[in-house]
Amino acid sequence: MSGDAGTVILDVDRLEKHYGGVHAVDGVSFTVERGSITGLIGPNGAGKSTALAVIGGYASPTAGRIHFDGADITGYPMHARARIGLVRTFQMARVFGNLTTIENLLVAVPRQRGESAAGILAGKRYWRGEERQLVENARALLDTFGMSTNADDPARTLSGGQKRAVEIMRALMMKPKLLLLDEPMAGLSPSLSRQLEDMLLRLAGDGLSLLLVEHELDTVDRLCGKVVVMAQGRVLSEGRMAELRLSREVQDAYVIG
Amino acid sequence: MAWEYYLVVMLVYLGTDLLAVWGLNLEFGVSGVANLAYIVVVAAGAYTFAICTLGPSSGNGGFQTYIGGFTLPFPVALLAGALAGAVVGTLIGVTGLKRLRQDYQAVAMLVVSLMVATVVSADTGFLNGSAGLALIPNPFADLDPEVARWAYVGVVALCCLIGFLVLRRFTTGPIGRTLRAMRDDDTAASAAGKNVIGLRLVVQAVGGAFGGLSGALLAGFIGGWSPSAWVYIETLAFLSCVIVGGMGSDRGVSLGTLIIAVLLLQGVQFLPQISSSPGLSEDFGWIILGTSTIIFIWFRPQGVLPERRPRYLRKSSSQSPG
Amino acid sequence: MQLIIEAIGFGIATGAVIALGAVGFSVQFGISNILNITYGSLMTLAAYVGLLLIEHGVNAWLALVLGAAVVGVVSVVYHRALLAPLVRRGTRAIAMVIVTVSAGIILQYVIVSFAGPESHSYGEQSGSTLHLIGFTLSAGQVAIIVLTASLMLGLHLLLTRTTLGKAMRATSSNRTLARSCGISTDRVSDIAWFISGSLCGAAGVALAITTVSFDFSLGSLFLIPMIAAAVLGGIGQPYGAMLGGLIVGVSSEVAAAVSNPNYKDVVAFMILIIMLLVRPRGLFGAAWSTRRLMEG
Repeated sequence: MSGDAGTVILDVDRLEKHYGGVHAVDGVSFTVERGSITGLIGPNGAGKSTALAVIGGYASPTAGRIHFDGADITGYPMHARARIGLVRTFQMARVFGNLTTIENLLVAVPRQRGESAAGILAGKRYWRGEERQLVENARALLDTFGMSTNADDPARTLSGGQKRAVEIMRALMMKPKLLLLDEPMAGLSPSLSRQLEDMLLRLAGDGLSLLLVEHELDTVDRLCGKVVVMAQGRVLSEGRMAELRLSREVQDAYVIG
Repeated sequence: MAWEYYLVVMLVYLGTDLLAVWGLNLEFGVSGVANLAYIVVVAAGAYTFAICTLGPSSGNGGFQTYIGGFTLPFPVALLAGALAGAVVGTLIGVTGLKRLRQDYQAVAMLVVSLMVATVVSADTGFLNGSAGLALIPNPFADLDPEVARWAYVGVVALCCLIGFLVLRRFTTGPIGRTLRAMRDDDTAASAAGKNVIGLRLVVQAVGGAFGGLSGALLAGFIGGWSPSAWVYIETLAFLSCVIVGGMGSDRGVSLGTLIIAVLLLQGVQFLPQISSSPGLSEDFGWIILGTSTIIFIWFRPQGVLPERRPRYLRKSSSQSPG
Repeated sequence: MQLIIEAIGFGIATGAVIALGAVGFSVQFGISNILNITYGSLMTLAAYVGLLLIEHGVNAWLALVLGAAVVGVVSVVYHRALLAPLVRRGTRAIAMVIVTVSAGIILQYVIVSFAGPESHSYGEQSGSTLHLIGFTLSAGQVAIIVLTASLMLGLHLLLTRTTLGKAMRATSSNRTLARSCGISTDRVSDIAWFISGSLCGAAGVALAITTVSFDFSLGSLFLIPMIAAAVLGGIGQPYGAMLGGLIVGVSSEVAAAVSNPNYKDVVAFMILIIMLLVRPRGLFGAAWSTRRLMEG
């Protein structure tokens, strides 16, 4: 059952993921509205990260369907999802260590002229213009995140927080429609966390949709409109954080785990 | 003059080694594809060149049995060798597609290399089995021998020049960046919208073409090719050049090839006279290669001339060589 | 049909040696997470050490024990001096393979420089043959089968009944957890490498005993069937390697008897490639070990 394709950007329909005998995700359904920040919370082992991984295309579902922006993307490989605007970040920030910071951003743009067969054959003349534009965009992003001085540093030399920032910048370079964030605040200092929160709110205001797996319930409270609670591979409840806090069910789930 | 002949041999070997090392560096150093079966594409090129120039197997006394047997012009045969390398490279690439740990894939590739060698050696009808192919005609046979030799050097040099220009198209610019991203983290590259499987196959085709051309040129120069020329450890020789020189850097691995060539030549001269066994210099060469590889992995894994990424902070010209 | 039964018998003998080597290889992978390709050349080393001893009048079986011990010691030193430090520095798995392959090449050609490239032989074994259920095996082959079976039993007892064995299993399955339980993982590694190195050495000498003649390529020839057996059984799993060895040995010999003998090795190659592509965790590898195989 999918919502009106206009307002719903992601429709997860009875998703299941089994690893051997373990039902990590056991029939999960929910939607994400366009331009919203939706939270996915639950105790450890609830299957949140697995669900996110399946939605992002990192693992293929055992059952269920995923609709994105009106299309059924259940069979799409990870790179295809990224190209249509469904972009994910990872729990442990993954950067391209031997590329410089700015290159990490530049490489993220899908379907660059310089990568195509034509581009390789024709040479620099073919892609020089687009490249210049991309460098400008990347520079602007680096400025926003305050990392312009690190532009030429190999990404492996960056700190944990900087790597996280690079991951998010890289995601943004891809002009995503929906961003899947797996604990984006993990390892960030409180001030950096706050900065990131403000940025995410701003991006959502500009029309970007976000699905966020997060442990810090205060963060979830501040950022998210709708929150989906998972426990033991299933959706337990949905609603605004304030309501959920009062729910007995949700409290029990966190205690029992 | 003996030294002139020696010089020609050195130059031809250096040129063909460079082509192979560039191909392997593209696959492994730049794109992270651990193709330890690389020597198979070199062999594919050599054998293809042979069967394209040897003429029918009944000729030359009919003591060799092989498939094909055409008499194509020299440049066509070279191209055929490169193409064969590309095709075989892609096939090898297909076997390595499953998401396995890199070291597992590497061992699988070694096994593929051994297996192909075993099969080719055993089947006498395919490529004349373990005896290999001989009497490959020299394209310059009509000329004075010294001129013919240097003409061949010229051909190799030309192939290297063209090859290098083609290589740069893949190792620099946006595609070079994308390949290195795939090397550094193929999952993140997928998440960034890169079709990693497609890229790997393309890289193995192009790398294979380089190897195939290298093999074809060698076969034409030596006049023969047999399974002993492409035992699985030969890939390690090229790998040594890549690692010593600087993985991912075209200039680096070129220098590495030169260094290894010099080491092998010079090192052999320091051989203690423990025995006059003729194979000893070759054996010692392998010891030198293996030791250099391990020394560099231990002390300087980035190689003599490490890969350099372009700088954007200063408003200098867009790309410095990668 | 008789041919096939004989081939099976032969395959059991070959399979025993393959199992012996495969178990050692598997244990090394289990303990250190390294695919030690130098293993092949170490077997060759044992064979030549055995040759040296036999030429000086030492009994073949004593030579096996000594050869095994020598390679056991060499393996520990090799791991401690070269492999472990590299791993500690974060050397990637692919670089470790390159290192072990290179070391194998170095060792092989050092052996050639000293012993020459010619074939050698341990000489004629005592001519008695046994006929069992249609199998025709030489005394040497039977002795090897018995030896392998006892060593496997010994290993089994060690792993299940002794504290050391339990420590080895713990370190294999989760090194950090083992360390936090107070296990001295470095010392356990050393002992494990000695034991597996000895198995490697024993396999090398056993190979030399059972083959008519051998040269410096002995180890590398048999390494692939051993890796195939180890992967087939589930790498890191000694019991799987034992069964894998038998399967590889018998199927190779039967295939050679039924079709072209030149393709005997190809069977092992195919088993390995197919396993890696279709089911890397092997027949008995646990699902969790797939994680070890899949993650980069």
